Amino acid sequence: MNEKKGLYGIWLAALGIAILLGLFTAVKLFTQGHALFNTNDVIIWSLPLAVYIFLALTSSGLTLLAGVPLVLKVIKFEPFAKRLVFLSAATLMGAFVAIGLELGSVGHMFWYLLSPNFSSPIWWMGLIYSVELVVLIVKFWRMHTGDWHSEFSNALGVISFLLAIIAPLMIGSIFGITESRVTYFGPMMSIYSLVLGLLSGTALFLLYSIIFHKISGDDAVERQTSLYNDFTVIFGYVAGIAVVLSILKFAIESATTVPEFLVYHKFEHAFGAWQGFHFEVLLGLFLPFVLLLIPSVRKSIGGKIVTSALILIGTLMMHMEILLAGQSHPVGPKAEQYPEFISYFPSIWEWLVFVFALSVMLLLYTLGERYLKLAEIP
Amino acid sequence: MPRYAMVIDLQRCVGCGACSIACRNENNVPDGIFWSNKITETVGTFPNVRYHYMPTLCNHCEYAPCVRGCPTRAMHKLDNGITMHDPKKCIGCKYCEFNCPYGVIYFNWKEPHQFWKNNKALFKGGTSSPREEVEKIGAKKTPYFNPERGATLPANRPKGVVEKCTFCDHRVRKGLLPRCVEACPANARVFGDIKDPDSDVTKLLGKFRPFRLREQLGTNPHVFYIRDFNPAQYRPTKGGV
Repeated sequence: MNEKKGLYGIWLAALGIAILLGLFTAVKLFTQGHALFNTNDVIIWSLPLAVYIFLALTSSGLTLLAGVPLVLKVIKFEPFAKRLVFLSAATLMGAFVAIGLELGSVGHMFWYLLSPNFSSPIWWMGLIYSVELVVLIVKFWRMHTGDWHSEFSNALGVISFLLAIIAPLMIGSIFGITESRVTYFGPMMSIYSLVLGLLSGTALFLLYSIIFHKISGDDAVERQTSLYNDFTVIFGYVAGIAVVLSILKFAIESATTVPEFLVYHKFEHAFGAWQGFHFEVLLGLFLPFVLLLIPSVRKSIGGKIVTSALILIGTLMMHMEILLAGQSHPVGPKAEQYPEFISYFPSIWEWLVFVFALSVMLLLYTLGERYLKLAEIP
Repeated sequence: MPRYAMVIDLQRCVGCGACSIACRNENNVPDGIFWSNKITETVGTFPNVRYHYMPTLCNHCEYAPCVRGCPTRAMHKLDNGITMHDPKKCIGCKYCEFNCPYGVIYFNWKEPHQFWKNNKALFKGGTSSPREEVEKIGAKKTPYFNPERGATLPANRPKGVVEKCTFCDHRVRKGLLPRCVEACPANARVFGDIKDPDSDVTKLLGKFRPFRLREQLGTNPHVFYIRDFNPAQYRPTKGGV
């Protein structure tokens, strides 16, 4: 018992140090500017934005999963519902930390409300995620006070479910309406964002729940084996959809002669590739999908941990790869000041933004588990 | 209300870069940022090679992707067609820069004009430091500071916001030409109201076959290029097999 308390203290201290480092990073960024990032006027968006996209989409995925018992009324998943809603809100707060430090002038944010641009997908994305956070918090509060199925509570569930569908589509459309960057243009990015969000949300919940219960020393996973197995089947289906989309995307990229797409084949990929397939897709999506097809692996706790961890890391890397691939060459006259293709590795400050966002998210998870009875059912 | 446009005559342009230098002075443009820029291209295989030069600036598109995407309307259109940016409303999301098909929007990654804050003289006791120079002149941030730029835009933009060419809107509203147009020694830049059938811009567009950058995107750019600089001659030939 004492050992557990000691470890809990160390964990809280580690999160505290990471958050202090994050606050220091915030002060540095807003005094010295974003030159601290390894970005430039060609690689405009980098790791902090990829982290934001990853966490925001993961949060949407968690909300959609919460909708399975709360909106679609698949009652057997109710034991997961409260934790899913809480994790979704906490993950979204982590995402807000990442985007807050990505913005150059976060102090001007009040113009977001005073001078809205309804034709901007970024404006809609910000609005939808802000509203979603409020709805999730209110929904969680209703559930925490025992109101799971009143009309008001149900309405909150439906609203958050719908917002969780629209928000990833909006993130995708930020890229999808960029006529000048052909590798992004079209509806593909929106569909891909929705699927990857659901995938990383599922992976996060599975990985987190198992690790949490193992560390806590309770036997919840064993007691709810069939529930976890059913959840892993959902995980497998979502991974399957992501595999199909990835193959489709690869096929289009391979077949075209449009110069921007040729970047994928002509130059080294961000994380390496084999036969044109990116390593992060092979190891972070295809491999776990194949593993999930094997019943013995799918049903084992180790198999669940390995597949969900691979997919969670893989989706973050996929977001990073997609983000960088569309920005790797200078547009127009910027080719005069920059080389034909730009390489990128995050600076220490970009890593610290990543750590800050994760620490805030994990601290909220930790406090939630401690004080908010996340395993409650109605 | 006029609709301003620019015609760049590539036959007259000699690629001297006077437009870019004049622009930097007029608009207090920081290092690493180019409101007025160029695209250079070398074509052919040695020894049959040729160098091409094309001046670039914000195209002040009618359907500007930067304006459409800006979440706070910091990037906006004026009634006269100029695409304008308000740094006070800019949250520094950089979507306009990401979205611009022409690569003419830049972000202030750090506090601009930092060089001029340096207190270190090149030769101690011999030369003055950059900061001393600025102080002696009584300028703001740079010795060549132009306060007139501040009429419609912060004269020096802060870090964390984007910036780009404004067709020198502060001069245009006083009836003056954009500084790059005025500074061009070869009269390669012609500025005016594209809605006025008697303007030089309209006449040139009717006389030649103009083209615009990435026209296929449908942004309707308002910087037009005419003619080409190429004095090369060749003996009439039908080629051969």
